[in-house]
Amino acid sequence: MADPIFNPLRFRNLEVGNRIFRSSISGRFDGYDGSGTQTRINWEERFARGGVGAIISAWCGVDRRGMIVPGYAAIETDARIPFWRELAKRVHEYGCKYILQLAHAGRQRDIKGIEFSTGISSTGKSDPLHGFPAERATTHELEEVVDAFAAAAHRAREAGLDGVELHGANGYLFTQFLSSAINDRKDDHGGALENRARLLLEAVRAVRARLGDDFHVQVKISVREEANAFLPWLRHGNRVEESVQVCRWLEEAGADGVHVSAGSTFPHPLNPAGDLPLREVRESYDGMISSGRHAFRNYLLYRLPLINRLMQRRWQRPPTEVEGMHLRDAKAVKQAVSIPVLCTGGFQTASVVRRALADGACDAVSIARPLIANPNLPALWRDGHDRPPRPCTFSNKCLFNLLENPLGCYDESRFETREEMLDEIYAVFDRSA
Amino acid sequence: MTDASVVFEPLRFRTLEIKNRVFRSSLAGRFNDYDGMGTPIHMNWDLKFARGGVGAIISSNAPVHPRGLIVPNYAHIDRDETIPFWRELVRRVHEHDCRYIVQLAFSGRQRDLGGIQFEKGWSSTDRPEPIHGLECERMTVAQIQGLVGDFAQAARRAREAGADGIEIHGCNGYLITQFLSPAINDRKDEYGGSLENRARFALEIVRAIRAEVGSDYHLQFKISGADYANDLFFWQRKGTPLQESLQVCRLLEEAGVDGFHVSSGSSFPHPRNPAGDFPVEDVVRGYDTMISSGRHTFRNYLIFRTWPLNRLFRWAWQRPSKKRGVEGINLGDCRAIKEAVSVPVVCTGGFQTASLVAAAIGRGDCDGITIGRPLIANPDLVRLWESGHDRPARPCTYSNKCLINQLENPLGCYDESRYDTRDEMVREILSVYDPPPFT
Repeated sequence: MADPIFNPLRFRNLEVGNRIFRSSISGRFDGYDGSGTQTRINWEERFARGGVGAIISAWCGVDRRGMIVPGYAAIETDARIPFWRELAKRVHEYGCKYILQLAHAGRQRDIKGIEFSTGISSTGKSDPLHGFPAERATTHELEEVVDAFAAAAHRAREAGLDGVELHGANGYLFTQFLSSAINDRKDDHGGALENRARLLLEAVRAVRARLGDDFHVQVKISVREEANAFLPWLRHGNRVEESVQVCRWLEEAGADGVHVSAGSTFPHPLNPAGDLPLREVRESYDGMISSGRHAFRNYLLYRLPLINRLMQRRWQRPPTEVEGMHLRDAKAVKQAVSIPVLCTGGFQTASVVRRALADGACDAVSIARPLIANPNLPALWRDGHDRPPRPCTFSNKCLFNLLENPLGCYDESRFETREEMLDEIYAVFDRSA
Repeated sequence: MTDASVVFEPLRFRTLEIKNRVFRSSLAGRFNDYDGMGTPIHMNWDLKFARGGVGAIISSNAPVHPRGLIVPNYAHIDRDETIPFWRELVRRVHEHDCRYIVQLAFSGRQRDLGGIQFEKGWSSTDRPEPIHGLECERMTVAQIQGLVGDFAQAARRAREAGADGIEIHGCNGYLITQFLSPAINDRKDEYGGSLENRARFALEIVRAIRAEVGSDYHLQFKISGADYANDLFFWQRKGTPLQESLQVCRLLEEAGVDGFHVSSGSSFPHPRNPAGDFPVEDVVRGYDTMISSGRHTFRNYLIFRTWPLNRLFRWAWQRPSKKRGVEGINLGDCRAIKEAVSVPVVCTGGFQTASLVAAAIGRGDCDGITIGRPLIANPDLVRLWESGHDRPARPCTYSNKCLINQLENPLGCYDESRYDTRDEMVREILSVYDPPPFT
């Protein structure tokens, strides 16, 4: 019997060779201004070679003010097209599809760079954890945002990419509108769910209007927000039923697929779930002190052992609880829509994925950290391994290293020696190909 | 109008001729890959200055071994795979009738952001660097000799890449200073103690390079005229005095050095280099990322944030340059070195006034000058001088904002007062990314 993981997945406009998507993972491999580099191409090629059916790109900014950190390849001008074209060419050689994740950070800009000191948002309030400053977007600015997404999608198609994913999850601009815990507007972009969803729906419609019906457009959404998961005094945010309703509207607006994630911010205890590696947090967070009003306070707190224990208690989840933790939410979405549903969340066990597909919880899984640990995970599954011999530990050290160091697996316990770990991290720079 | 024509006369070293007396001094931005491979952006950066008319460019700080980086993302020359990058860069710089000199460097313990490969830097000593508390390991004799060989191999790579010469970075607190300086070097073996012993490492490097690349390749040496190690904190030791540096230069000349490049200071940065302001606000924004680098960095960060401690620090920082002025601050030491040796000597230190440079050359203080910050502010400075301007309309203010910003942001001029608008400044800074790697 054919393995359901390796059955093709048909979207309206796109067929993907199997049910494994590389989820969006970034890494500061590119130019400060958002120009792409050969290193980025090497990085993506690694996963195409590993056998995933499709790659969802790194976080890709559509607007200069909406960048999350400097050093991620962007698509905010036509000048970026040649880079993405070259990248697509390389990835396609492996029969792998490439979906560009179009994103706008809003106020959630971890390193704001030199161009804009304040991000736009649904609100004028700074973010509660780091204190990233925000400016309430005007209606005119929102129109520009919608246009920027449409223009970026158009560039993605020009570059020969196979589709786009609008990043409506994880606390970035669209979440800042969707979330009842963040959006405090009184106009037609705030209040009722319908109003809070307006910006995202308008963006989907604008992309459709610009590109027509024959280009793949999917949307990533945090179904479960739990905005108070880390800071308990905040409001809870959207309920699952509200997010499911948004997904129905997205389908009506012309989305071809939904990608289920979780959390009202990034990072968030629900995503990427697992450990909070305190040493890495401290060493990495220093560079963010100048990013937000509360960041220095946080840095001081992060140095205190008592606070560390409290943070870990709020954050940590044992590795056994991570894999597939969003499947329940994905299933709720899948039952409400007729387009394919992707689900992210620590997948690295073939039997778990098979069961999820058989249960109708999702149509495919998207994987980030376990693929950083084992880029050949699809090949391992195909060869009959249920789980890689050295699985991802969900240490989240990859995440907390990426601001200052090359993205890769930094959990030394997974390697024989530290040198082996460094060799693997540095392999992304290999120019022998 | 003053006669500055001497600035545009060729400068002849033993094996190299430069079209004028102006070198771009070493300026490093984090434009490259984390592993030290050069990028097209780095080429864009250097080409700005080649187009601007300097006679030669001294490259950014190029580590000869990965352990010798200062921060990640500078272009290394630590393996043969880097040669094609340097070759292409040199080829493009040559199109502008500009010479290219690769600066061979090793940070030692002075690693502002050490990266993930090596937990600690190497040094003559195992005492941490005093300002930030950057930790280090005392080198064994075998490690020293291995590193001497790495310098020689790096010189070979520079020659293979078609570069016109090399500069050994022997100053500003990096590894060679850590051997030369009696304020740092506490060894009891043949690499510590007497001046002869402290200079041994530098001399061995020069001899090894000569043995590797022969005698017909340009080799210059950058040296701090004096350490001034107590400029900032009066209770510290002074370090190498000028008289000792003169002796070191004589020994180096005998060993085969073709020219000297005179800077100052036992550390980088240092109140005399780059002399000028201590831009408190930019430091608070930029220094945070170094907190995890050293033992004293958190303390320093708190000082930099806190009034009046930060004002006090700024006052102490500015003292030497207030007393002596920034432009030409090293000319006195340079002149002493020039009198002690017979090879050409070039001097760094804030030069941007043609008449002042011409006078310095005319007096015999130096044979040429090297420029860092004023060229960031005005990459076409030489063209301006050629067309008769004594000083650019918007000169470098020595705000040192370029320096502190380069940790987190692209190297460039960050002094908003020099621009009509902040947007103009940002555009100018980001222009280094044009053209992008894929077009």
